[in-house]
Amino acid sequence: MNETIRIGDTTVRLIKGDITDQEIEAFVYYARHNLALGSGFGTAITVRGGPDIQKELDTLGPIETTEVVVSNAGELKADKIIHAVGPRFQEVDLPAKLATTIRNCLSAAREHDISSLAFPPMGVGFYGVPLDLCARIMLATFQEVLRQSPGMREIVICANDSREYEPFRQLLQNFSTTKEYVQ
Amino acid sequence: MSPATNTERSHKAQKVLERFDKKLSRQVVSSLVSCVHCGMCTDSCHYVLANPDDPSYAPAYKADRIRRIFKRHFDWTGRVAPWWVHARSVYTDDDLEELKDIVFGKCTNCRRCTINCPMGVDFATFNRMARGLLVSVGVMPEGVSVVSKDQWEIGNQMGVLKEDYIETLEWMAEELQMELNDPEATIPIDVPDCDIVYSINPREIKYDPRTIADAAKIFYAAGEHWTMPSEGWDMTNFGLFSGDDDLGGAVARRLYEKVSDLRGKTLVISECGHGYRSTRCEGPNWAKQDINDFAMESSVSTMLRYIRDGRITVDKTRNTTPVTFHDSCNNARSCGFFEEPRELLNLVCSDFREMYPNRAENYCCTGGGGAMSMSEYTPRRLKSAKIKAEQLKATGAKIVVTSCHNCVDGLSDLIRHYNLDMKVTQLVNLVADALVIEPKAEAPEAAVPVATADGELAGYTILVADDEPDLVTFVSTLLEDHGATVIGASNGEEALSLARAHKPDLITLDITMPGMSGDEVFVALRKDPDLRGIKACIITGRPELRRLIYERPVTPPEGYIDKPVDEESILTNVKKILEVHHES
Ligand code: SF4
Ligand code: SF4
Repeated sequence: MNETIRIGDTTVRLIKGDITDQEIEAFVYYARHNLALGSGFGTAITVRGGPDIQKELDTLGPIETTEVVVSNAGELKADKIIHAVGPRFQEVDLPAKLATTIRNCLSAAREHDISSLAFPPMGVGFYGVPLDLCARIMLATFQEVLRQSPGMREIVICANDSREYEPFRQLLQNFSTTKEYVQ
Repeated sequence: MSPATNTERSHKAQKVLERFDKKLSRQVVSSLVSCVHCGMCTDSCHYVLANPDDPSYAPAYKADRIRRIFKRHFDWTGRVAPWWVHARSVYTDDDLEELKDIVFGKCTNCRRCTINCPMGVDFATFNRMARGLLVSVGVMPEGVSVVSKDQWEIGNQMGVLKEDYIETLEWMAEELQMELNDPEATIPIDVPDCDIVYSINPREIKYDPRTIADAAKIFYAAGEHWTMPSEGWDMTNFGLFSGDDDLGGAVARRLYEKVSDLRGKTLVISECGHGYRSTRCEGPNWAKQDINDFAMESSVSTMLRYIRDGRITVDKTRNTTPVTFHDSCNNARSCGFFEEPRELLNLVCSDFREMYPNRAENYCCTGGGGAMSMSEYTPRRLKSAKIKAEQLKATGAKIVVTSCHNCVDGLSDLIRHYNLDMKVTQLVNLVADALVIEPKAEAPEAAVPVATADGELAGYTILVADDEPDLVTFVSTLLEDHGATVIGASNGEEALSLARAHKPDLITLDITMPGMSGDEVFVALRKDPDLRGIKACIITGRPELRRLIYERPVTPPEGYIDKPVDEESILTNVKKILEVHHES
């Protein structure tokens, strides 16, 4: 079983855990358009990170689907949070929008000199993005972006439970740098 | 079968139709095609009884709003003669909103109409299906989205973080050790190879930790080899209410996996109707998993077994207040679980009075189907609770017992709304109260945590805001007796200005105050960068508070106490919020 692969200079690692509680430079939060942290991981960010995060977000929103903003992470273990408004609930052109959102997360990371970034399985669960589709698009987009613009030291895919973990594990196990992961 | 395409149709409506087809199980189709509109189900619905002149509450009427879509696209009758069978599609986002109002706002999925239908139409099943279709395109009440997202991402319906969960268990263990004077009375966490893995409702952590302490006391008395899991501990499942089978499967799987990891022999589900139904009955289907390596049972069965086997001794003369029993719809109608709680009640209470109708015929608490999380429908819900209030009143009981946390909330709200002189409790509380525990012969005194009752709140400043002077005096005196510095406020404006001036560690806030309400004060506190760090404990008898819990316009309060208050609930909650521990 291989849960760590390399794409160019970047290590892509799969773990199971709570993304808001990781020792990492930054993590991605699947945000709302108005950047209200709300429930779910938003609750964890507010409770563990303190009120300043929402205060900062209030000056940065609202944003459109596929757009991202970067905030500080308050008292969380991470330094920064990338708030990404990905597609949701079977919306039009979901796969393309999801890929664009992931690209935008990676360019925001580059702009903020973030070299180690955790992603959740983007949009799965509450927002209804199918897990298999999500896994394929995430890996395909990582491959595409990291080949064109290396520099990221580490990407962590942080699955919330074994249901989320499994499809990523299978994809990583069969990973080949010569193989394209098509959407 | 594929839905007719229509270029005029909104994207969401099209997606609903595409998914509709996939949800058509044999059971659903049979319920969709077999209604003969005889009307026999009409008076079985609590909404109808409260709104006799409004036909839109009739089960068959509500069912027809979903049925007509089925007829239009998936049934030959509607394709051949749509006008004849009243077939109609959904076209716009407004059509979906209208459907949302019916499937979420006019039915608690209680299934009482089902048992009164001679044709076996199970409306609740396809009402749930319709909820799931709407949720899949993001059309749902705000409260449903908040709770679903919490359960998907945090792993429980109330967004309780792992550290808070563990801390509350440790806290309750300390209380238990004090009460029993035995340092070995613990709440074990993640102990492998136990006979029992005990799972709970997050409401117990957040608002009712006494139920956990009481269960621990019973396990202690029975000498049980038991544990609670550190993760996968939430046995509730919002997928049952939201109609999202994926959520249902994810939640059930987390729970099952944890029990298997711990090699537990029996998963015991604390008293919760929808939790029991979801975990024991529906969960394996949603999770697509056969459960063979452990058994599952309700804690009611566990407690009953302890008494029958002589593992615990109870004295029913300790519970003499007249009690009645409310059957949760999920336990009684969907799982046939109604004799065991009665048997247990008769063993631990001396004056049990039956409510009529009861068992599978009982009326819903009116808070079922996730209704407690949908504050936009609160007036409608409380109006429909009239029949339940009449049922309760007719018993003459002072306590209503129910084996469901959801029903505890639903009943508490309607009891306040209809001014009934009753309180709600659960079997676990009554069994714990009736427990006869022999005092430990030689308790090693030095090892027992020592409560420093007099000064344990020393150093804390607490603002008590309530428009009832008696209550301010009662709470203030109690907190001052335990060492706190207390400031009193008699209205919302005063509370806010005193909060600014004194920056207390905690505010206890009554919701119903003249002028600026406690609700508004709370939101103002949370929105003020200088004050949002102050902890808040809401003390209320008003159901509208649920907006703060379920819709989260701001970070929810740290604590919540129901009126009427008592010393124990105030002290327990205040100490928990301020993280004051007994010195050992
Ligand atoms: S009782 Fe059954 S057949 Fe009669 S109207 Fe109600 S659902 Fe239809
Ligand atoms: S399931 Fe219950 S609430 Fe819904 S229509 Fe039937 S009786 Fe009424």
